[in-house]
Amino acid sequence: MAQKLRDIHKKALAPIDMVRYSGASGDFNEIHTVPKVARSKGLKEPIVHGMLLMGWAADAIEEWFPERKLKKFTVRFVGMAHAGEAFVIEGMLTTGNAGELQIKDASGAGKLVGSFEMD
Amino acid sequence: MGQEFHYAPFRVEAGKVREFALALGLRDPVYFDRKAAVDAGYRGIPAPPTFTTVIDFWNERDFYQLFAVWGLDPNDILHGEQSFEYGQDIISGDVISAKAVLTDRFDKKDKRFYQIETTYRNQDNDVVCIGRATLIERREQHGAEIAGHS
Repeated sequence: MAQKLRDIHKKALAPIDMVRYSGASGDFNEIHTVPKVARSKGLKEPIVHGMLLMGWAADAIEEWFPERKLKKFTVRFVGMAHAGEAFVIEGMLTTGNAGELQIKDASGAGKLVGSFEMD
Repeated sequence: MGQEFHYAPFRVEAGKVREFALALGLRDPVYFDRKAAVDAGYRGIPAPPTFTTVIDFWNERDFYQLFAVWGLDPNDILHGEQSFEYGQDIISGDVISAKAVLTDRFDKKDKRFYQIETTYRNQDNDVVCIGRATLIERREQHGAEIAGHS
């Protein structure tokens, strides 16, 4: 039986948070930090690193299941995310050791969908 | 297909784990405090689940060099999908080696898809993680509607 997990709310990112993630991860793709480059690639503004969202999603799993160990984790990046948008992480335990999650913005638009398996 | 790229061995440092954990807003003390990590059953400070990204980008033969060798412009690449399969924990002090393999490449509409499988091993040759990424190269520069991002 599926079991809904507690929603986790994330505050909006500031542009400097994306600069910070670029430095920490080493992903200096400028479409995440430089408005002019983002616009030259057809985007209206810099987009949040998908891997930053995946990092949040992994953190949500650890928050839901602090005693369990993650074995498999798969995500699809389904929409672009931007600074200034608040997000919610929703999850569902589908079996005893597997679940699904998604990250949405305030309007309900999906940014990431994923599935995970634990020990 | 089957093109391989070997990253340079990367030493996982506690300070880098801390910086990465802060950038993600993580609060679990195991990422910041060795004692908390040991109390939780780890050999030392563990790396968070998506830390292999740091290895990809910060080793001395990194993802940008892979892009150059494979002829890709990083600013044209969006990240479509990512999966991880976890083995042994990655612990600060470990030296991680990784091999990336181009497992598939195909075109759909105005996009080219690359599937890359990266196997990460520690100093004992144990697999710590297998990452599978789908990257999307935007061949039409000004198409703003893209189902996926980097």
